[in-house]
Amino acid sequence: MVTKIIEIIISPLMAFVIGIFFLGLSRKIMARIHWRYGPPIYQPVIDIIKLFYQKSISHGFIFDLGIILALAGSIVVILFIPIGKITPLSSSGGLLVILYLMLIIPLGIALSGGEGANPNISIGISRKFILSLGYEVPFLLILLTVMKHYKTISIVEVVNIQQSTKWAIFSSPLFLSGIAYFLILPAMLGIRPFDIPTAPQEIASGPKVEYGGKYLAFMLIEHSLHLYIGIALFVNLLLGGASNIIIFIIKVIIVFIIGLFINAVFPRFRIEQAVKYLWRIPTILALAGLILTMV
Amino acid sequence: MNLQLILLVGFGGAIVTYFAGKVWKALRELFAVIFSLILVGMIIYVYNRYSDEILKIGFLNFNIVFRLNALSWLFAIMISGITFLSILFSLKYIKGRENLNFYYAMLLLVNASMLGIVFAGDLISFYIFWEIMSWSTFLLISYNKGKALNAGLKYIIMSLVGSMAILIGIILLYLKFGSLDISFISANINTVSTKYIIYISSLFFIGFGVKSAIVPLHTWLPDAHSEAPSPFSAILSGILIKMGIYGFIIILYIFWGIKIITTLNPTLNIFTMVLSIIGALTIVIPTFIALLQNDAKRLLAWHSVGQMGYIILGISFGTSLGLAGGIFHIINHASFKALLFLTVGAVEYRTQGVRDLNSLGGFIKKMPVTFITALIGALGIIGVPLTNGFVSKWLIYKSSILEGHPFLAFAALIGTWGTILSFYKFIHNIFLGQLPRKYENIKKAPFSMQLPLIILSVLIILFGILPGIPLKVINAIGISFGLKSLNVTIWGIASDTGTLNTINIFSAVLVASIVVWLFFRIGKKSKKVPQESNYAAGSYIPEGKYHYTVEFYGPLYRMIAPYLRDVIDDFYNWLAERIKVLCNGIRKIYTGDVGIYVLYILFFLALLIFIYLRQVLW
Repeated sequence: MVTKIIEIIISPLMAFVIGIFFLGLSRKIMARIHWRYGPPIYQPVIDIIKLFYQKSISHGFIFDLGIILALAGSIVVILFIPIGKITPLSSSGGLLVILYLMLIIPLGIALSGGEGANPNISIGISRKFILSLGYEVPFLLILLTVMKHYKTISIVEVVNIQQSTKWAIFSSPLFLSGIAYFLILPAMLGIRPFDIPTAPQEIASGPKVEYGGKYLAFMLIEHSLHLYIGIALFVNLLLGGASNIIIFIIKVIIVFIIGLFINAVFPRFRIEQAVKYLWRIPTILALAGLILTMV
Repeated sequence: MNLQLILLVGFGGAIVTYFAGKVWKALRELFAVIFSLILVGMIIYVYNRYSDEILKIGFLNFNIVFRLNALSWLFAIMISGITFLSILFSLKYIKGRENLNFYYAMLLLVNASMLGIVFAGDLISFYIFWEIMSWSTFLLISYNKGKALNAGLKYIIMSLVGSMAILIGIILLYLKFGSLDISFISANINTVSTKYIIYISSLFFIGFGVKSAIVPLHTWLPDAHSEAPSPFSAILSGILIKMGIYGFIIILYIFWGIKIITTLNPTLNIFTMVLSIIGALTIVIPTFIALLQNDAKRLLAWHSVGQMGYIILGISFGTSLGLAGGIFHIINHASFKALLFLTVGAVEYRTQGVRDLNSLGGFIKKMPVTFITALIGALGIIGVPLTNGFVSKWLIYKSSILEGHPFLAFAALIGTWGTILSFYKFIHNIFLGQLPRKYENIKKAPFSMQLPLIILSVLIILFGILPGIPLKVINAIGISFGLKSLNVTIWGIASDTGTLNTINIFSAVLVASIVVWLFFRIGKKSKKVPQESNYAAGSYIPEGKYHYTVEFYGPLYRMIAPYLRDVIDDFYNWLAERIKVLCNGIRKIYTGDVGIYVLYILFFLALLIFIYLRQVLW
């Protein structure tokens, strides 16, 4: 019981630290690729603390509630994702619950933004949902392939089977799913070339435009947790999970850095281009994986 | 005796209410509320008092059988509950319109006839109640006149085709078995061949499919549901289309019985497979068509078709998990779809009938209760955890994955995304965004309208957090069909292939929200600003001029719209056109000249004589 409670407290904190580290790291690496020096790696932490003490505006009740829900949703999702051997709540409902809890996050932000009544927000949210529909098609196919292949809907089981045999990405039909997941990862994380919903130069950061002060700090935290969730799912489902925390963190960081190099060199897609891309190569790969698993 | 009494109160109430309205108007409303409430009470009273009541009457030597079992009780309580809430909502909504005696009497008549359908233990009374329901529904759909007349006509024509199919099925069954008692037929179903079962079932499925609007037979629904008065739309979507599903369950689980569904007979397996594929198609296509709608009620109507797909998918597997998911989704759909139609009704009431999504907005500040309830309904239909929609969808997905149909599960899951997109649009365009100037003085919905909304949203959350309450009743239904009992706890379902436990999810969400909220409080307090105080890169946003969500999903629309025309509706229209031409041709033979008619008769006699002679010659 006590260990369970400690696990429940530790895993979101760890996700938070890793996510913040990702944000700092990404700014640093991007700067170096662009031949700049870049901010210190702990800059996001300074930003969050600073933002908490700054002025902000509120457009009403759901404007506040939405963002609280989004952040709470992220924390709950993290509790359902195993980290190495730590599995705080993953035994109750499995992958389907994770999939549906992940809905709370974009819905919360969208509801909050909706009350902002700003045209930039509306464009951003519309793009976010269209993009989600774009990457959910291959993503769901990948999830179903994994569930079908291992004949379980529990993520803990998936990790255990991979630990005792081999990583899913190295087993025969699932490597297609693995490639597909990697191809949609930037879209899921919302980083360039798929940062269409929050494009700063076009629509003034989209849903974030009305946020200031603590709202912006919450968005920053939410974004960092979101980076962690997307990659942690990839590691657990296809890269064999991990037997302890250290290996898990190393895997997560490696995936993130590889993703970052793509992020740094590509320009942003238009929304139609993004959806067309997502519905072509990744979807075909994921579909092929699922069909091969069935035969 | 109980069931006859319930039906007597049901039908009698309709008549009494009609004549009460002739005497005194307030009496009619009072009677309508009281009668519908009494029915709810009586049905709660008969819970677990399952019985058969046989009525021997001289009519063609048929026995009329009324039967109450776990399944019919569940349907009966939903029917009477939704009707009661809808009548409560109607009090203000419909006030001041003409023909109100007729309106209330018809609502009660639809209610009574649906109760008759679920209590019917033989096919002849089933069919009689079925027809009463179809016709009274037709009259209510057309209540608004104008476009509604066409919608009603479309409904009744398709309904008649369906009823004819059912009638033929009933006659064939009678010729084969010599009895129309449902339990007698199901006891003797083993004596007939598989081909015969499939033939009869297809006939029934056409009839039930029209009523429950599964995909090739759905075209009446979007028109009828959007044109009917909103409280009746709630009944239509919430419960009336479930009568078709009730028929499906009767055929699959009572006529066929669990032994036949789960046999390895390849023909039957293909038949159920086809049914589940139809279910999957019914989820995907209508859900994405709904995305493109700009009329609030039409959007909801298309989603009713889509949600029927989930139910069909659930019940077509023939497993206890799938059936539990399907039946649970019936309850859930009844609660959230009725709720959503009623919220649109409340908005319509305050805006004098505006339901165009592109001209509303910002109502959250004016109608907060309506907003919260609409949000809960939308979360329910999306299936966000801690609403009832999640639990039933979880059961359906899980059974389709475990049964080895990942593509069906994919259709259901992607349907969820279509639902999210369209319901965000629904919520946003009515309640969020900028409030147009002309609605600045709008008032919140009256209490008699808010009460049904609040009751339904409490149910959605309650069944989401404690799914054990309805699952216990549903499990009893599964057991009465001979299915394996599920391991139901108050918090969810336990099994060795994956456990659902809502208490974990609930406490995690609660604690996480409180923690985040505390942090939110710690931060510097934010300043409230009016809606015009917006950032727009230095320029100012002209108020009232823009609705930011016209063409909300424009880029997506351009991509998918070419594939999402309602081809089936076009086909039916083409068919109707052809038949009109054909009938015009036939009409020409009626010239009005008696001589020519005599000639026809002579020709006909000659033909008869010719046939007779040929038979003799053989």
